[in-house]
Amino acid sequence: MHDFIDNTLLSRLASLPIESRAPMLGNVAGKHRSPHRGSSVEFAEYRKYVAGDDTRRLDWKAFARSDRFYIKEFEADTNLRAYFVVDASGSMNFAGNGESKIQVARRIAASLAYLLVNQGDAAGLSICTDKLHLEVPPSRRAAHLERFFSTLGKVQPSGETGLIQALHTIAEKIGQRAFVVILSDLFTDTAALGDALQHLRYRKHDISVFHLMDPLELGFEFDRPHRFVDLEDGTSIVAEPNLIADEYKSALRDFLTAVRAKCHDASTDYQLVTTDTPLEPLLREFLTARLPKSKH
Amino acid sequence: MLFLNPLLLWGLLAAAIPIAIHLINKRRHKTIQWAAMQFLLKATRESRGKKKLRHILILTCRALAVAALAFAAARPVVSGLIGWGGGSIDTVVLLLDRSASMETKPGDGLAPRRQIVIEKVRDAMKTLGATRLVLIDSASGKPQEIPSPDVLAEIAATAPTDSAADLPALLARAAEFLAETTGRSEVWLASDLQTSNWHPEDERWAAARASLAALPQKPAVRVLSLTGPSAPNTAIRILGSRRSGDEMLFDLEILRAADTRGTTTLPLTTNLNGTRTTENLTLPGQSLRFQKRVTLPGGSETGSGWLSIPADGNSRDNSTFFAYGPARPVKSVVVAPAGEAADYLALAAAPPGFGNQATQRVDPATAASLATGDLAAILWAAPLPTGPAQETVSRFLTSGGHVIFLPPVTSSDDSFLDLKWSNPTEAPAGKFFILKDWNHSDGPLRDASDGTPIPAERLKAVRRQIPLGDATALARWEGGEPFIARRILEQGTAWFLGSLPDYTWSNLGDADVLLPTVQRVIAAGADRFDASFLTTVGSETAQPLAGETRARLDDYGTQNPANAAYESGIYRLGERLLAVNRPAQEDNPEILSREQLDQALDGTRYTLLDQAGQADDPSLSRDVWRAFLIAVLFFLISEAILCLPKKSHPQALPAKAAA
Repeated sequence: MHDFIDNTLLSRLASLPIESRAPMLGNVAGKHRSPHRGSSVEFAEYRKYVAGDDTRRLDWKAFARSDRFYIKEFEADTNLRAYFVVDASGSMNFAGNGESKIQVARRIAASLAYLLVNQGDAAGLSICTDKLHLEVPPSRRAAHLERFFSTLGKVQPSGETGLIQALHTIAEKIGQRAFVVILSDLFTDTAALGDALQHLRYRKHDISVFHLMDPLELGFEFDRPHRFVDLEDGTSIVAEPNLIADEYKSALRDFLTAVRAKCHDASTDYQLVTTDTPLEPLLREFLTARLPKSKH
Repeated sequence: MLFLNPLLLWGLLAAAIPIAIHLINKRRHKTIQWAAMQFLLKATRESRGKKKLRHILILTCRALAVAALAFAAARPVVSGLIGWGGGSIDTVVLLLDRSASMETKPGDGLAPRRQIVIEKVRDAMKTLGATRLVLIDSASGKPQEIPSPDVLAEIAATAPTDSAADLPALLARAAEFLAETTGRSEVWLASDLQTSNWHPEDERWAAARASLAALPQKPAVRVLSLTGPSAPNTAIRILGSRRSGDEMLFDLEILRAADTRGTTTLPLTTNLNGTRTTENLTLPGQSLRFQKRVTLPGGSETGSGWLSIPADGNSRDNSTFFAYGPARPVKSVVVAPAGEAADYLALAAAPPGFGNQATQRVDPATAASLATGDLAAILWAAPLPTGPAQETVSRFLTSGGHVIFLPPVTSSDDSFLDLKWSNPTEAPAGKFFILKDWNHSDGPLRDASDGTPIPAERLKAVRRQIPLGDATALARWEGGEPFIARRILEQGTAWFLGSLPDYTWSNLGDADVLLPTVQRVIAAGADRFDASFLTTVGSETAQPLAGETRARLDDYGTQNPANAAYESGIYRLGERLLAVNRPAQEDNPEILSREQLDQALDGTRYTLLDQAGQADDPSLSRDVWRAFLIAVLFFLISEAILCLPKKSHPQALPAKAAA
């Protein structure tokens, strides 16, 4: 059993479905809307009969009333394929006074993957650094989850981030519409991040970003000078936090604003998650917000 | 600034504690693995400058607060009198100007400047604690150890006097005293900076400065200037007195302060041998010179008295004393060959109606045997004296006599006092030699005391002889040649007149010029007899000779027997009767300029405390530890304000996850 899986949490969230905000293109029937017309019980529209249409789908009652041939169409339901992109750069290893960012990323990814597979959707995993890009292809089989969890558990963050390259790769690689969940601290160039998100959006993927930050990174509260060692490249700097706190917070604020704007521009769900946030309300809120309005 | 507990100044080292704590803290940093490095680097770059300055200011405030606390604990005493310097002063030498002008009050109802400065020095010395105080006063010039500052105002050596002061001598005396003294010393010079007392051009200043500079430990010099506004003041002074039969003739001068305006009336009290009379005197301006006659009581051989005006801004210049002896005839001699000139000269020397004046005609050939002991003046209209006659005339001059030399008629190369006569010259036919200008304030042709000028322009000469040599010309002919020349020889004066009272020479005999000239010269010569009764405080004649004792005869004002030598009044010294007055220079209001003071004390790096004479500035020094405590508070409050966190930014960072 993996330490990032909380069975109690999963059982509480099991009643909440994970919905897609956009029509999905799955390979099997499922519970998500498809852009194509199908054979579900959900009426979609009438259209005029053209030669070659299946005569079994003619609406005879409409013919009797109007003396014209109409084809009755129904919505098609399909399954959802989710890709979890987990940033495994060195900065994800940072843990202020609680859990590390990578650990929180593991717990979110594992919980959502479990819920997806449980409702018949497929979940895949992509772990990226500047040197490494691990992939677990999406699958809806329950046995697949173990591989998902195992890969997630083995991730050891190190090196610089390869998130941007990984997002472009995924955008090109996934042929059909999918649900892309990004778990990262996003310590990268915000303009490049915006480009990557736009690339995914262009491919009509449904994107969600879990922006992971440690409370210490946000608050920057220290009582004495510190030597700060970079988790990614090992360089260090001695600074007096109380002298530079204002400038630090200002720079961080600018960064968060820019990230939020880029996500908004790419119609991306954005969640700023501090590592001390309880997971259940976070995910419950996330899932509820994705439900269609009628299901609320 | 002086510190009463200088050892506590070591506490200043504690000012380094905040800096040391800061440096230690900086070295005591923790190491932390950090992810958000990009913001840290940016913040570090941007925080240089304003933040660093703020931090330095905070550190400075802390260090200054500690330093100010150390200063306060060291009990600082500050004033212009006590300069900067660590440690304490071992000896203070107070040079006190006790001249009559120091009794001027800075305002109505206030104490004299001398008294104010003494009280301030007393308070300053109390603040200094165990510092030794040595007084050298201007009257005695002797160093005197003062056992306690409290007695400073009580002792006779700081009491008022009517003397003048000699500041260069006083400073030289201080240097002399300090040469025998060890330790850190200061010279405090309390004076009203009266120019006549300071003698700024005197060469003795250089000697005094050199003596100070030669001391092993150069003392600091503080000048306690007692200048500034003063109460309204009027001074009376006797310029000269002369007994003429049963009358005393006084030449008086009354001076008012320079800033007074308009006419005023003043009661003038005359006390003659105890009999007091008062008359009102109208003062039209700032000064008034006038002659006053006082009738002596019948049969009075000798006597004394004083003339006084009401008390005002300076109580020491409101009286002037006089004394007189038996009446004596005013004698003169005319040394000239018989003739018109000799007649006119004899007539001018003893005109009819001047009963106490007598003259004698002497042939030039017998002038060598002239008895000059009781003579007031000699009128010499003959070739300049040579041989024994020259000796006789010279002796007469040095003893205070006056001689008028007139042209000898004939050409001569004889000279006297390096002066000789030119050859006689005659005016062109139909023209005269006339006077172009003459001195209206000095010499025998000066204006009368009421301002009436001598009608010297009426003088017309057809012949003249010019006095040649080094002499002061007091009247000149139209061509610029001297008509009257003066040469002073010790106490006497030789006068040279360039024409004769003879109709073949000029109209000098008309009395317009000759009579006042001769009478004034004779009066000046006669003054030497009456002058023996008048003297000034501090002069040689006012000192008792061997075997003489001093006794004061008058009862004017408050007298201090210990200061009898420095107070004006009527004294009997042995057999001598003397009226002792303050020196004339004490009535001179001229104050030393800053440039003159710099020049006098050049190289001493003196400090000028020009508020020392102000009654509203209560002390010369102040205990200022409270100011330093306030400074401590100020620095601590400043530090607290600087440490206050900045106002929170309107776009605060999200503390928790946001949906």
